[in-house]
Amino acid sequence: MPDLRISGLNVGYGRATVIESLDLDVKPGELVTVLGANGAGKSTLLNGIMGLCPPRAGSVKLDGVDLAGLRPEQLVARGVVLVPERRELFGNLPVEVNLRLGGYRTGAPAQSLDRIYGLFPILAERRRQKAATLSGGEQQMLAVGRALMAEPRLLMLDEPSIGLAPLIVQEILRVIGQLKSEGLTIILVEQNARLALSVADRGYVLEVGRIVLEGSSAELSADPRLSQAYLGGAGDYAAARDQVYVD
Amino acid sequence: MLDTLLFLVADGITNGAVYGLLALSLIVIYTVTRVVNIAQGEYVTLGALSFASALSGTFSVLSALVAAGLAAFALRDVAEQRLTGTMRMRIVLSRALWILIVLATAWLANLLPGSYWLAVLASLVATASLGTLIYRLTVEPVSDASPIVLLIVSVGVYMVLHGTAVVIWGAEPRSVPPAVDGGVGLGPVFVTYQSLWICASSLVAMIALYLFSERTLTGQALQATAVNRTGAQLCGIPVSIAGQLSFAIGAGFSALSGLLLAPLITANYDMGLPIGLKGFVAAALGGIVEYPTALVGVLLVGLTESFSAYQVSAYRDVVVYLMVIPILLWRNAVRPPETHGH
Repeated sequence: MPDLRISGLNVGYGRATVIESLDLDVKPGELVTVLGANGAGKSTLLNGIMGLCPPRAGSVKLDGVDLAGLRPEQLVARGVVLVPERRELFGNLPVEVNLRLGGYRTGAPAQSLDRIYGLFPILAERRRQKAATLSGGEQQMLAVGRALMAEPRLLMLDEPSIGLAPLIVQEILRVIGQLKSEGLTIILVEQNARLALSVADRGYVLEVGRIVLEGSSAELSADPRLSQAYLGGAGDYAAARDQVYVD
Repeated sequence: MLDTLLFLVADGITNGAVYGLLALSLIVIYTVTRVVNIAQGEYVTLGALSFASALSGTFSVLSALVAAGLAAFALRDVAEQRLTGTMRMRIVLSRALWILIVLATAWLANLLPGSYWLAVLASLVATASLGTLIYRLTVEPVSDASPIVLLIVSVGVYMVLHGTAVVIWGAEPRSVPPAVDGGVGLGPVFVTYQSLWICASSLVAMIALYLFSERTLTGQALQATAVNRTGAQLCGIPVSIAGQLSFAIGAGFSALSGLLLAPLITANYDMGLPIGLKGFVAAALGGIVEYPTALVGVLLVGLTESFSAYQVSAYRDVVVYLMVIPILLWRNAVRPPETHGH
């Protein structure tokens, strides 16, 4: 079971430093959420861990081995897999090919495909369709499914709920919960704090590239600073969900 | 009159088959690495000349150079930090096997002069391997650069390869015997067997590329890299391997066109550039990304060339190159650059 320790991490683009001397731990089997407003540096943090934007300083240790500075494919080979915010699917390739490519390193065995189709039955129905023709929610399921094909030890999800209808969000959350119960270690980055804290064990709050709060989900949910800053948006979510149920 | 027309059409299709291989090479390389490869025609030259050497029983200097280059990169890869013992072992073994294949094919061709298939194999293996070296040497270090920088780099590669061909083979053209002598009358037109061989080989190569891209995970990974590089990286597809593979395919296809064409026009150090440019004109019809449109383009270019050669033979190249202007205008009208998803 993987154990992730990030210390003193610096990540930036060009002259700008976005993440500064950041420390973060994830214990084996834990679901940790990173919360923060738009532009807090959440995606940059994940891109830094993943090597899409190589860290300038600090270490990212998985089971004691430093991964900072490795290329993305080397991280995938070590079991670190990212579901990016923009999904980065292969739009003109069929759903099944997208999934098979997720399992590029393992040769995409049939039982892995079956497992993904079991988690997201809608993808099985759409297997021959091009990824670009899927709805937003189906694309998000495909992005998660593709990442799972790589057989991750540490799965990182970047705002999987963004822009999706509440029912679809529930579906994605159900799968995240199931993966957690199977023992997968997960980092969930979210703007929607209430949503994330409902499934996470622990959370960190990021503000302009620094951790300003951390604690268990219960502690964070009760923290007035967090509810002031971030739970406002979740109220809209609840309203939207009620809307769907009324319809 | 009809006879002349049919002859010109047959000639045009043969030209088109050659340019088709070039156009596919350009598209594979551009879509995967974003290099508009000006040096593409040089692989035609090197393919034809190393084929001529191998066929006449001379040990190809190109194979030796390529083997040395592969060995140099193998040393660099093995020296990389953070490799486990088994990973190092795997690199050593795979590179050793690769170098062995390059040298063995050249050596066998040297041992059995006149063997057509051995000469084809030696030439293709050497040129395709050279493609991977060119990628690692000139593209990989600047893989995040803008397409214009990559294009300028390929101009530099063109100059070096062009000069290398002169140094190795000299300026004298070499005549190359065809695969099979003679020809056959198809209705009123006499078509050489070599022309038919060119069309058939080109077709088989294209079908093979299609099946590779559609049916194998590696081929799909290549497509994926072309569609979305970040997505491909996140799937664990190494961008470097995809780039090397695209250059190997591009170089190999172009070398194939060179060695097929050599019996018709003799192999010489200067043959590549015009062929590469004509392949480019054809590929431009499909924006250097669409394979089917490029195939229409190669027939258009091939036929235009054979008809203009008949009408105004001194200007045949001029006419073909001029086609790029209406093609680009048409391209711009159909799909303006700002709509491209990059």
